[in-house]
Amino acid sequence: MIDAAEERVIDCDWHYQDSFTEVAEYMPEPWRTKYKDSFWEETGVTQALSSFFPTSTGDRQNYGKVLREHSNYPDEPEDPERVREGMDFLDIDVSLQISHLILATGGINADDERIQAFTRGYIEYMLEEVLDPDEGIYGLAPIPYGDIDASLEVLERVEDEETFVGACFVTAGASPPLGNRKYDPIYERCEQMDFPVVYHTGGSGLDEYVRAGYQEMIETHTLGFLESNMSQIVSVACQGVPEKYPDLDIVFMESGVTYIPGLVSRLDEEYLKRPEEAPLLDTRPSEYITDFYFGTQPLEISARNDLLELCFDMIGTDRLLYASDYPHWDFDSPSVINDLPMLDDDDRRAILSGNAEEVFGV
Amino acid sequence: MSADGLVEVGPESEFEDGDHAIVEVGPAEVGVIKADGEFYALRNQCPHDGGPVCQGNVQRELVGEFTGTGERVDQYYSDNCIVSCPWHGWSFDLETGKHIGDDRIRVPTYDVVVEDGIVYVDGGD
Repeated sequence: MIDAAEERVIDCDWHYQDSFTEVAEYMPEPWRTKYKDSFWEETGVTQALSSFFPTSTGDRQNYGKVLREHSNYPDEPEDPERVREGMDFLDIDVSLQISHLILATGGINADDERIQAFTRGYIEYMLEEVLDPDEGIYGLAPIPYGDIDASLEVLERVEDEETFVGACFVTAGASPPLGNRKYDPIYERCEQMDFPVVYHTGGSGLDEYVRAGYQEMIETHTLGFLESNMSQIVSVACQGVPEKYPDLDIVFMESGVTYIPGLVSRLDEEYLKRPEEAPLLDTRPSEYITDFYFGTQPLEISARNDLLELCFDMIGTDRLLYASDYPHWDFDSPSVINDLPMLDDDDRRAILSGNAEEVFGV
Repeated sequence: MSADGLVEVGPESEFEDGDHAIVEVGPAEVGVIKADGEFYALRNQCPHDGGPVCQGNVQRELVGEFTGTGERVDQYYSDNCIVSCPWHGWSFDLETGKHIGDDRIRVPTYDVVVEDGIVYVDGGD
């Protein structure tokens, strides 16, 4: 068996714990002043996120029981040095940074410009202070998809920046769902730029979007993240995004892998009974969805080995991308992939880095 | 079945568009369907769950076309005629017997012959 520490490892989902304090400096006015005057800089990222994200079932750190080294939600603004330290800690050569705060924006329904302003500031901040290809630190550009013009401006801004290697869509809260023709111009542009689209689930509105009234994190965290990704997979596939933009690389992050065979089986069953309702598809939805890429985290290593093996077979080990979700409390280290008994060494290398090299060109 | 393999179905004049008749062809039940003035014959057994597919609704196939970024999918009825199994909606092209969503799935088809105003299914020799 290979040793992950000796291999090149690309982590496709690293959460940069960005803070309003830092990003606001780069925001356009009037949002810079609005943010800076909002007391967020005194209360740090935890409180700032709560301001966006006011309701969540329970404490992610399991009421003091989760004490993973380096893993926390800092009250202080993030320090870019922590990325390098964390990569060393996990033996990771390349990381793709996503914005931690942007995950909460799916809960915003107001037609103001908070998300657009934050996105612009975040990109400038990351370019200036964090991203560094020489250190293997790349970024995914957050897309304020509710505003198509603003989204196209983001793509234009990052087009010539080698440090941004993909677009990040937060799947929670997207309304209409992300297969809608409304988003076509973004997909068209991403395809032209050879810029993968990364759908990242999010916790925004966890207490609302699955079952209002859940009591504990175990309930919402099991289904909430899953549900928001599944909703978008069904929409993107049935509305024919892969047929409209066949060269677009599509990636789904942060829901593990065991839901995919169940979802595609159910969707195929529906499709065979009513194919005229997905008229752009030439064949079963599963054949498109298994062309998507999937981040592995949080990998269900507690599942039966034969189930995981079946999932890998159905999805294809050439479609799986190692993702840590670091530094979130349930992050997976590369050994989670390395130690899987049903994989051979070629599969391990593909998942740890080879597939990501092809998708993101890093 | 006659010596030439033809199985009589009935007078052509008794069929309106969308009508079907069920006949035995050897061990198989076959549905003869008239659509757009043409006759088709398919095995009356849906490959999904064995339903009486030929006794289902006959329609033109609704298709869609991507006409451009941001545009609605243009939907229209094609010239293709399909029959849909009344049990679960699996739908097949009348000409080829292929499932309209996955052409690897198909219902066996038969030739139909009309002679002297009488419709026959060609059951093969």
